[in-house]
Order: sequence, then structure tokens, then C-alpha cells
Amino acid sequence: MRATALRTLRSTTSSSITCNPARAFSISVPRSFAQPTDGAPPAGKAPQIKEFKIYRWNPDTPAEKPKLQSYKVDLSQCGPMMLDALIKIKNELDPTLTFRRSCREGICGSCAMNIDGVNTLACLCRIEKDASKPSKVYPLPHMYIVKDLVPDLTLFYKQYKSIEPFLKNDNPPAKGEFLQTQEERKKLDGMYECILCACCSTSCPSYWWNADQYLGPAVLMQAYRWMADSRDSYGAQRKEKMQNSMSLYRCHTIFNCSRTCPKGLNPALAISKMKYEMALDK
Amino acid sequence: MVGQIMTRRTASVLSTGTLPTLRTSSPGLLLAHRAIRFASTQPVSGPEEIGILNHQREKRPMSPHLAIYQPQLTWILSIANRGTGVALSSLLYAGALSYLFHPLVPAIDSAHLIQLVHDLPVWFKGTLKLPIAVAFTFHTFNGIRHLAWDVGKGLTLKGVYQGGYAVLAATAISSIYLAFFV
Amino acid sequence: MSLARPSSSLLRPVLGFRQFHTSRVAAVNASSQVRNAVVAADETGGFKYVPGGPILKGTVNDATTFPAPSKSHGSYHWAFERALSAALIPIMGGAAVSTGSAYPILDGILGVSLIIHSHIGFDSCVQDYIHERKFHYLGPLAKWALRAGTGLAVWGVYEFNTNDIGLTELTKRVWTA
Repeated sequence: MRATALRTLRSTTSSSITCNPARAFSISVPRSFAQPTDGAPPAGKAPQIKEFKIYRWNPDTPAEKPKLQSYKVDLSQCGPMMLDALIKIKNELDPTLTFRRSCREGICGSCAMNIDGVNTLACLCRIEKDASKPSKVYPLPHMYIVKDLVPDLTLFYKQYKSIEPFLKNDNPPAKGEFLQTQEERKKLDGMYECILCACCSTSCPSYWWNADQYLGPAVLMQAYRWMADSRDSYGAQRKEKMQNSMSLYRCHTIFNCSRTCPKGLNPALAISKMKYEMALDK
Repeated sequence: MVGQIMTRRTASVLSTGTLPTLRTSSPGLLLAHRAIRFASTQPVSGPEEIGILNHQREKRPMSPHLAIYQPQLTWILSIANRGTGVALSSLLYAGALSYLFHPLVPAIDSAHLIQLVHDLPVWFKGTLKLPIAVAFTFHTFNGIRHLAWDVGKGLTLKGVYQGGYAVLAATAISSIYLAFFV
Repeated sequence: MSLARPSSSLLRPVLGFRQFHTSRVAAVNASSQVRNAVVAADETGGFKYVPGGPILKGTVNDATTFPAPSKSHGSYHWAFERALSAALIPIMGGAAVSTGSAYPILDGILGVSLIIHSHIGFDSCVQDYIHERKFHYLGPLAKWALRAGTGLAVWGVYEFNTNDIGLTELTKRVWTA
């Protein structure tokens, strides 16, 4: 009865559950490549131990206050970037360390965090070779923390949605695409490359104090990116939305944003242009 | 569509797909070990869904900011501009408001103030004048730098840093002159 | 694959199969139900919304809202603030090179523009740090205390310029006392 049950089950489940217990884990690397090392590091490189102090908080024990946990990493066995160190810590020392990451090449914006006091991408931040000073890794400043180095970016994304970051034009050309000169296209350089990592907005003290109403440099730069786009016809309406004391005008040109942008962009300049154009247009 | 919550707890409940590598000839045993647990999610309405999320949000701490952010010329000079402005304006308001009491307290007038300052020891006058001169000159020069930014000039990383150092140099020179040589 | 197969002579009602059938039906039925309570964009599901707090309004897909537009709080305010700051440079320069008593009008303009400049600066601090939406008592108190203080300070400066030596002269004499 069990055998028939299994056969019957197989006929109905094969389409939905594909499982073959005979091949649970198959890897392409031959077994002979793995060599036991009994813990000793490979010869040839002098060990260079650096201490990393990383912000930890566990939502499963929310009553415990966040703290800095210390990890010691041998830099000679680690890649050059902070993200390499974090992954090495997670692989070898503490699998519970939690952080966002994806592309490891500075284009996705996932690994944005505060390293040694500066907001940047962990995958682009080189580890300071000076092993005498510990490196401090915090999450992005003044954000609610989901776990360890993972901030809640929901408000940031909601603000981005509020500026309508898409082309709006009631009179598309009858045939073909919107035409744009090279000078018009040049206006978008330095703004379209934003990867929305939130490093700039979370470096801005004005955004720290008024995140719920002030949009922050990242979103403001994208708002201006659409105002400056010659193909968009809703510039006046976009500017009208900024005509209040909070959304745009909490910016006091502190300039932390452009100082910290890991992609070398300049949100402060875009905001300044936006304010200038809004003042001139009356 | 009924919302299906994917909190971490539920996610771990859902991930029942771990299959042990059991090489066994007994298909019955295999059947027992194979994950024939069809995980079902609880249907949850919109407000309930947000309620569960908000319960989690309530407990979240805020990441440190002022305490850990690196001191940089950008924000240090910015807060100094605000600080000096507040200090100088408070002095102005205090003076203007106190003069309103002159009809009641005739001693509150310029002659008495000048006499009071005149009677102070020289070293004390210098100690008092230097911070006021620094505040005034810094706020003025940084204000000019700020106005340049407002018309779009010098808003690059290099420009901001060069302007900042220029303002600091001008402040140092002019405040020493004003405090000790005027 | 049709789900409406109550009984088939080909398929024996084996325990495992029935479990599969019913739970899959249940799952599909669940997903086809219409959500019976939609959350409005400003709802928090029964939690108190605190500006700047961890609770946000609406779902993750609802955009944040803008306050009603008002140029007097927006670009006009910004432009006026810059124009006044720029005007202060020649005014201060003029005051620095003149004797205050000789030019009472300049003294008056200096006093009033300095006070308005200070007011805008203080107001900026109040809006940044003790905004009314977060501080229900201290916020409006600070705002109105500032407005009252500015009004009185303008009056005080006027009285001083009229009945006493004036701002420019005072600064000169106190500084060189």
C-alpha cells in the first residue's frame, strides 16, 4: 500500500514538487580539491589582525539595547573592501551578522552604511590598513533599524514615489521618440546616475531632524532631474509641489550630501539650481 | 487579494523544503521524511497586516547620528554659522529688549554701558572682544560664501572646501585685528 | 489542471493525495478572495502616528504627501531672506565708515534689517528643531514668543536710535571704550 501510495503521489506531485533524494546536494568541484588545514592560515603572508566594531541589535530580543560587537579579522586573508570583511565575518566568525548586499561593485546601493563616521557603500570602501585602530561600522544614521546594519528605508522609498519619478508629457510626438539636443541631455548628467543608496539623505542633519516632511537630497535631486528633463512638460507642477516650508526649504546647504556620495554626484548643486529656478520663475 | 504576511517568523515556518539526504531503500521511510507538509499562510486583512508590521516597528531602535558622524568642514562650518548667528542675534535682542526698560530703570542706557566697559581691566576687554569679533566676522564671511552658493557658484566639493578654508583664514585675520587693534 | 475533481475513478483516495488536493484548493481560493478592508494612505492600522517616529502612514506602496502649496512660505520667503542678507553687506559697510549720529536714517535701516535678519534666522531654528507638528506646546510657544520678541526688539531699537546715540555710535564707543 505504501509503494502504490508513493507511485500515485509521484505521478501527481512530479509537476509541482521536483525533488530527487538521490541527488540532494551536487557540486561541480571535485572532492579532491578540498584539503584539510587544521585551522592554520596558508604560508607566505604575515597575519595582519584588524579589529572591527560593528553595531548589533537583534529584533528577537528587542529589550536588549544595541551594542558594538568586536570582531578580529586577518586582513591578509581578506579582500580589500569593507564588504569583504563583513562577508568574511559572517562566513567564519558570526553567521548572525546581518547586512544588505548584492552587486559588490558599487552599483546596486544595497550595502550603504556608516563606516568610520562616513556614509558610503561597503563594497567601495577600502579597509584602512592601519591595524592599530579599530574600524567602526554603523548603520545609516538616524534610521530605524530592522536588524544589525539593516535600516528601514520605507519612508525613503515612499518619498521617492511622491515626486513622480517618471516622464510626464501630454503631447508625445506623433511619430517616433521625444527629440532632445545634446545640450539638453547634458543637463541630466550627474543626476541620472543616482543609485538611490540613501547615503546622502542619511548624512543630512536636516533630514535627521525632519525626515517625515523634508524630502532629503536624494529625492530632491531626482525631483530636479525630472524638472530639468526637456522631454517632461510638467516642470511647473513639479515645482509647485515644492512651494512649502518643509519639502525643499529645510535644506540649508550643509553640503554633507555631496561630500558623502559614494558615486561622486552633487545633490547640493541640483537643489541649489532648483531653488534658484523656483525663485526666478516667481 | 488577501494579504499574506511574510514576517521573518512566517518565513521560517514556510521554508519547510529542506530535504535530508537520505539514501534509503525504503520508499515508505522516504515518504515520511520528504516534506509533504503543504505550508499554508494565514489570510490577513489590510489593517491587520499593517498592525503586525507596526508592532515590529514600535520596538526598533534609532541608529546613532551626531555621536558617530565624522566631523567634517561641511557641517562644522554650517552649524558654526548658525551658532554665531544665534549668539549675535541674542545679544542684539537682549540689548534692544532691555532698552525698553529704560523709562523704568534709567541706568539702562548707552552712557552707563560705555562706562561699565571702560572700567573693565584691559585683559578682560580683549577676552570679551575676541569671541564677539570671531563670531561677527565668521558669520559675515560665511554668509557671503552662502550667498555665492545661492547663485550656484562654488558648489563643488573642491569649491566648498576651498571657500571654507578661505573663510576661516579671513575670520582669523580680521577678528584679531578687530579685537586687539581697533 | 482542473481543481474541480471531487472524485475520479482513476485516482484512489489516498491520504496524501487528498491532503494535496484540499490544501491547494484552499490556497487558490484564499488568493482569489478580494481584500475586504483596504487601508487608506493615511491609516496606521490603529497605531498612534508620531511625526519622525517608526510608525508610517499607510502601506509601503503609498507615496508621502505634500503640504498645501504656498509661495509665501516657499520661494518668496527664500528669495526675501537672500535679498535681505545681501542688502546687509552694503548697509553694514556704510555703518562702519560713518558716524551713526550723522545718519540716523542709516541707523534705522540698519536696526530694522538686522532684527528682521535675526528673526528669519531664529524662525529657521524653530522650524528645524521645535516644529509645531512634533512639539504641541513648545512649538507654538516658541513661534509666538519669537514674533513677540521681534516686535518688541524693533520697538526697542527705534527707541534707542531716537532717544539715545544709535546703534552705530554705540558699537563704536563700546568697542573702543
